[in-house]
Parts: sequence; structure tokens; C-alpha cells
Amino acid sequence: MTSILPAETQTKVKVPAQRTAAPTAGSTSRTTTSGSASPAPKRLRDSRPDLILCGLLLVAIMIVQGWNIADYPTLSDDEGTYLAQAWAVQEGRGLAHYTYWYDHPPLGWIQIAVLTWIPAQLAPESMTVGSMRAVMLVISAISAILVYVLGRRLSLPRWAAGLGMALFGLSPLSVVLQREIFLDNIAVMWTLLAFCLAASPNRHLWHHFGAGLAAAAAVLTKETMLLVLPAVLLTMWRHSHRDTRKFAITGAITACTLIGMSYPLFALLKGELFPGAGHVSLWDGIVYQMSRPGSGFILTEGTGSYGVLQSWLYYDRILPLGGLAGALLLLVTWRWSVTARALAGPALAVAILAGMALRPGYLPAMYVLQALPFLALVLAGGTASVTHGVLRRWRSATERRPVTWARHVVAVVLAAAAAAYVVPRWYDGNHTAMTFNANAPYQQAAKWLGSEVDNPADTRVLVDDALWLDLVHEGYKPGLGVIWFYKADLDPAVTKTMPRGWRDLDYVVASPTVRRDAVDLPNVKAAMENSTPVVTFGTGEDRIEIRKIQGAGGDR
Amino acid sequence: MLTSVFIAVVSLALFWMAAFTLWWQMHAWRTPEVLASTRFSRPDGDEHVSFSLLLPARHEQAVLDHTIQRLLESSHDHFEIIVIVGHDDPETTAVAERAAERDPRVRVVVDTHEKKNKPKAMNTALPHCRGDVVGVFDAEDQVHPELLSHVDHAFSATGADVVQGGVQLINFHSSWYSLRNCLEYFFWFRSRLHLHAQKGFIPLGGNTVFVRTKVLREADGWDPHCLAEDCDLGVRLSSVGKKVVVAYDSDMVTREETPGSLMSLMKQRTRWNQGFLQVYRKKDWKQLPGFRQRLLARYTLMTPYLQAISGVIIPLNVAIALFLDVPVGVAFITFLPAVTAFVTFVFEVVGLHDFGKQYGLRVRFVHYFKLIVGGPFYQVLLAFAAVRAVWREQRGRNDWELTSHVGAHLAHVNREDVPA
Repeated sequence: MTSILPAETQTKVKVPAQRTAAPTAGSTSRTTTSGSASPAPKRLRDSRPDLILCGLLLVAIMIVQGWNIADYPTLSDDEGTYLAQAWAVQEGRGLAHYTYWYDHPPLGWIQIAVLTWIPAQLAPESMTVGSMRAVMLVISAISAILVYVLGRRLSLPRWAAGLGMALFGLSPLSVVLQREIFLDNIAVMWTLLAFCLAASPNRHLWHHFGAGLAAAAAVLTKETMLLVLPAVLLTMWRHSHRDTRKFAITGAITACTLIGMSYPLFALLKGELFPGAGHVSLWDGIVYQMSRPGSGFILTEGTGSYGVLQSWLYYDRILPLGGLAGALLLLVTWRWSVTARALAGPALAVAILAGMALRPGYLPAMYVLQALPFLALVLAGGTASVTHGVLRRWRSATERRPVTWARHVVAVVLAAAAAAYVVPRWYDGNHTAMTFNANAPYQQAAKWLGSEVDNPADTRVLVDDALWLDLVHEGYKPGLGVIWFYKADLDPAVTKTMPRGWRDLDYVVASPTVRRDAVDLPNVKAAMENSTPVVTFGTGEDRIEIRKIQGAGGDR
Repeated sequence: MLTSVFIAVVSLALFWMAAFTLWWQMHAWRTPEVLASTRFSRPDGDEHVSFSLLLPARHEQAVLDHTIQRLLESSHDHFEIIVIVGHDDPETTAVAERAAERDPRVRVVVDTHEKKNKPKAMNTALPHCRGDVVGVFDAEDQVHPELLSHVDHAFSATGADVVQGGVQLINFHSSWYSLRNCLEYFFWFRSRLHLHAQKGFIPLGGNTVFVRTKVLREADGWDPHCLAEDCDLGVRLSSVGKKVVVAYDSDMVTREETPGSLMSLMKQRTRWNQGFLQVYRKKDWKQLPGFRQRLLARYTLMTPYLQAISGVIIPLNVAIALFLDVPVGVAFITFLPAVTAFVTFVFEVVGLHDFGKQYGLRVRFVHYFKLIVGGPFYQVLLAFAAVRAVWREQRGRNDWELTSHVGAHLAHVNREDVPA
């Protein structure tokens, strides 16, 4: 029953001497010692040079993209569609002012609705495509910053991350496309956020979880972003730690799936998941998108896809072609180049998107948008790789001075040559973007229809989507007064209000889109044939005619 | 309209609750650095403290000797083992006496309280402790021989007042509930306790807990009237600012077994829930300096009840969303708690995989299946235990359950201290 404890004197705790040694044991000790033991990686937002570089580039991008944004490029039909649907959301008319038919997930224009909500409250008449392009600047700004952050997180040197940001924000192709109210621009922002979170330097579980959420938001904004998800996953895999990886990756995938499931859930709650009589369905929407007629092989002259490719290269060759070359370079140098491995995610994204573009399927004009940030990053990465090769490779500590000088001369010559090639082309492209007014005919047409038509509230007019909101603000009745032209043939809710076909209409605004698509739309075609131009704005292919239907307005 | 608002509010509350619980549950895996910091650091070979290891034993003659022998194999040089036996338990006393005769490091203390429970037994032994640090084990614990050296190092390296080591239920293959029970321990000791240590509010576990003797005496030992005296001690010590360190190493944990039947698990859980409620009502946690700390304390101590409520409401909510005519937006909100529940499920599956890896145990597909299918039923069990605890507390029945039936059960009830 008795026991002897070894000498009492030995049992004194030598705390003061030991406390300073403090290796990490237990979680509380970590919080007290980690500061001195392992300094946390320096945060980007605390780094002054990064902030200055990123800030200056951002200002340049905002000026180039923002100047003349309403007048160039030509208003696109799709912009009108999304903005009008955003307007419908704001007005509480549901997800679209015509029946929402699951063409795209609605998150994209819900975001546009949120972004434009305050300006639309202050000045309702500003809710038109031209003026609301300004909100796209917000998206562009965030995306450009994210490209810089991602570049830095993928361990690009500061100048290369800056180069990536400049390529992404200042290429004339980017300037033109990023100005437009496309869902792709918003989806790209979310995708970039997903990449940045996947490459989070402190490998936080909830950052990776957030990457999954952001990826889901991207897909719900524009479903084509599904293609890029493997690249997000690759980036996350490379940036996670062995011990926590399984939690991080499953967490991200779960988050992405759960949020993604909200779309079918939404359809289910509305009873529109599967096809049935008398209602639209998610299933039909998907079938429609999957069965869109192909536009041919991208490299075969004369196909639709070839035309789309040429339209991209018309604005800029450097970013698309240079980016592809950069991706190839990174693939080839995979084994030797740290940069190549660090940029595996963006390179994979470029590879997937390039592969999909080579498919003979349908290739929309804004397809390239989702590739732009990755093209910019791999091009910047390729440049960094080449620069490193020129300046540092096989360089020993004892290298002779002239050789080092020669290395620098080569680098400067290469940089000067690149600048000499790029700057004049981009200057021309961006000069046009900042000065040319491509939308004067649209603006004049809207003004004419606002001032010259006596009784807008009782007038029925077919317009393309880009002009639709302008006429709503001029007092035309949304939906059945001012009508998206193709709804006159395709939406039963509209056709049943036109028992006498074209005779129930008053005007057709024949924009290039309307003239192009009228071929396949009998009612629109008849309206065009039975009408005469009252006034024409612009000339040639891009002209806009306001055509009055013969005998209209009398007996209705 | 009123229904919609009501449903939305309830759903959002549940969502935030579940989200916070999940956030805390995953604490250790937040970053690789956090995970690394949850382990014991390697001892430097020096010994700085001596231990008095309390071993309360009641009708445990079968396992006690083995436990003592294993403890004596510890590599640490300075410790004593104090076996606490009851005056009405001659069999166990005999085993303890024999062990004391064989080895001078073992001593026996007899508890003469008329009504016996674990805190009273340990308070009886406290004046006899000669070590700098008092450690508590249970009579059937398998303790790793290196544990004391690591704990010694943790004390000296961090200047802690309390060190809590890991306890892990191992027999996940025994039944569907033991699988979930094991995983509860895994998440609690592997992850959540570290968060509590970091935030400065911690309900301690029942064993493998080490407290500086001086600190323990200043705190007047354990509360003999509390059903969760371990939790209570942790709350009292951390509320007055004592430093608690938690360390978890899979090869250094104290291994235990789950309760033998569903009923004993339920009783154990009831007692523990009731204990938490008592700790909540004792209000020691109100001394915590930070508002957020107090919030964490309030929330943690109330968890069993919140769990009970959410277990009932989540399915109800989903049913309402699917079958009642509510606006689509509201229906969406009702799914939020289910979403977090699902995420928790997924992390549990991954946790089970990690558990298998850490302990070199083979987890088969059927175990994952049981984990998922058993989830809702376990939830029901937890909810029932919570309701039962509230009921007993309201009726003033704060005796140790089954204390009057002296017998084999008692020992079990006494030692099954379950944090969850």
C-alpha cells in the first residue's frame, strides 16, 4: 500500500527554462509559437510591389475597356436577350418575360439583374444594352485581378503575372468580347475564382470547399464551364497536401455537386424536370443544346466554325495563337521546367478547350471567352520559361562577364521584337474600340420609334433582342407589343395573339440579325415581304430599316 | 405567407447550426499545418514532471491487473499508480493489493463513501497524490508505454496546466452503432477538442487527462454531484484561464471499446447529456472573458438538445418543401440544412477512411454502407437520449444511473465517459 516516489526534489517543473524552447505540441501551443517558428507565407495583399503593378494594370485595362464601351462593338442579339431577362427578374416577371425554357441555367442573368439593380432603380431608362455594358467593367476588373492573383499563386514571377493580366485585359479580342453582356464573362470570373481558391497558398480546407462552390456558380452561369472543371481539380490536387488532400478534394467535389444539383432541383420543384404535355422541361432544354446543328470543322474553309475562328483572329492573333504555342511549349518542357508543371491547370484548360473546338460540333462566337484567361496565363508562363532559359539556364557561378551580357542582350532583343510586333497591332485594334461608333443605327432607330410612332402602347413591332429594352422604355408593351422577332414563330403564347399572322403587326425593325434569321421563320419572313422601309439608318450590311407593314394599324 | 416565413427562419437557423458544427468538426484538417500541430511533439529525453496516475476501479477484478501491468511498463521513470477501490468491493481490492505488494510504485486508496461515484473516488485519492501531475485512467484502458514521456514533454514545452491525450474507440466492426460511436470519438479527439483548446474553452474527456496537482487542488478536485465531472473540470479550469493542451497521435491514444449494447450506449449518453446540462446550469462558463468564448460554451453545452431538435426537424422540413405548396425560393431554403447534413455525411465517410488508415484497420464497403444507412437511426438514438436527459434533469434525478443496483453494470456505467 505504500510506494515511494523518486526523490521529491527531482519533481520540480522547470517551466521557465523550457517555455522558450517551445516546439509545437498540441493546438494551443501552435497558436503561441507558429508566429516565430514558421512565418506564414507572405500575403499578396500585403505586398506593395504587387499592389502597385496590379493597380496600374487595372487602371489601364479599365480605361481601354471602358472608353466608348456603349458604342463598340455592335450590339449583339445575345446581350439583348440576357439583359432583357435580367430586367424581367428585376420586374418580378419570373426568370424571363417569355416562358423560361431551360435554354441556359438562370444564374447568369440573375447576377446581371443584381449588378444592374441599383442603376436601374435610379434611372429605369438606363436599362438598355448600351448603357448597361458598364456593369461588365466590374466583371472584367475582378477577372483581371484574379488572373494576376492566379499567376502569382501558380508561382509566376511578378512581371509574368503582370504580363498575363495585360494579355488578358488588353488584347483587342478581350476588349471587344469582355465589353459585351455575355454570360461567359461572368462564368469566367467564377472559374478564375475557383482556380485561385484551389491554388490557395495556405491549403485551407474551406478554401478548397469554396473552390467547389465557385466552380458550381460558374457552371450554373454558363453550362459550358463544365469543360474546365478537370483543370480546376488538377490545380487543387497539385496544391493540396498529402495529409489533408482527401478531405479537400472530396469537400470540393461535394460542394460543386450539391450546388450544381440545385438546378435540376429547381426544375423538379416546378414540375419541369421531365418532358410532358403543355410545359417546357429541363430535359428538353438539354436535348436542344446537345442537338444544335454543328457548324463544321474549324479549319475547313467555308464552314461556320472557320468563320468564327477568323472573326477571333481578325481582332487579335497574338493571344489565341501565342497562347496555344505557349501551352505546347509548356507541355513539351514538362519534364525540365518548374513553370510548366506549376501551370498544369491552365495548360490543361487550354488543351481541353482547344480539343473541343476541333470537334465538328456547334461553335458559338463567344466560345473563346472562356479560354482567354488560360491562354493569357500559359502565354505569360511560356514567356517566363523562355526568359528563364535565356538568362539562367546552364549558368554557373563562374560564368564569364561577356556571356552574361550576351544573355541579357538576347533577352532585350527578344522583348523588343515581341513589343514591336504586338504594340502596333494592339494599338490599332484598341484605337478602333475606343473611338468607333458601331451602334449609331441602333440608337437612331430606337429614337425614331420613340418619337415618330403616335401610339406606342397600341403598336406591335418585331425587333431583335438588342433593341427590345429600348422600346420597352419608349412605352411599348413588353412581350406582346414589342416582340422578340423569333417569338412570332416559335412561342405559342405569342402566335396565338396573331391569328391573322403578319397582318396583326405594325412594324418590323430589320436589323442584320432579323434579315439573317427571317429565312427560317415564316411569320417574320411574311412580315418582311409585306412591308416597306419607312426609314433606314446606316448603310450596307449593317443598316437598320424600320419597315411598316402594309395596311397595318387600320382595322385592329 | 406566415408558414413560409416560419419555415424559412427555422431552416436558416438549422443551417447555421449545422454549418458551425461541421466547421468545428473539421478543425484539424483545415490546413496541413493545423493537422501537424495536433500531434504530440517528440520528447527530448529529459523528464521534468512526476505523475500520480489515478485508476478508479469498481468490480473490475478481471481487467484491472492487466491494466496495472501495462501502465507499469511505461518508459517514464517517475510515476506512481493509485488504484482507488470501494470498501464494499473485496474482489477488486484483493487484485489491487496484490499488485501493490509486487511493485512499490502501486498504491491502493479505499473509498468509503456510502453512495459511490467516480468523482468522489478520485477526490478521495487526491490528498494522497505525490506527483506534480495527476493523470486519470479507467480500469480497462490500454495505455501506450511512451504516452507519459510525451505528456511530460507537452507539459514542459508548452507550460500547460492541463494536457488531454487522445482516447479512441476501436471496435468499429462490432455493430452499426459502434461504427458511428468510434467515428464520433475520432472526430472529437482528433479534431474538435483541439479547436476548444485553441479557443480557451474545453470540456475535458474522462480519461487520459493530466492536470497539474497544484491546479487540481486549487480547484477543489472534481465536483462529486456532477454527472459529467470531467467536462465540468475542463470548463471550470478553462474558464479561469488555465492553459489546456490537446494532443492526438494515433499510436499514442488510449484505446477503449464501445458500450456492449444499444441500451447501455443510450444510458451512457443520457448521463453525459444530463451532465452537460448540469454544467450549463452551474454557470462557471460565464466567467470566460470573451463573448465568443461564452457563445461557444453555451452552444457546446447545449449541443445534445440542438441535435435532438435538428434530428426531428430536418426530415420534416424536406417533406414540407416537397409536398406543401410553398414558393420555390422558400422550398430552396428548406433544403439548406439537408445540404449541410449531406456534406457532413460525406466528410464522415472520408473520416472513416482516414480512421482505417491511421489505425491500420481494414474498412470494407459494408462499413461505409452501415455508416450511411445507420446515420439517421443514430440521430434518433441521440435525440432520444437528449430528451431522456432533459426529462431526468427536470424530475431532479441526478443520481448516477443504476447506482442502486450494485453489480457489474455499475462499473460499466461509471467508466463510460463519453464525449461525442
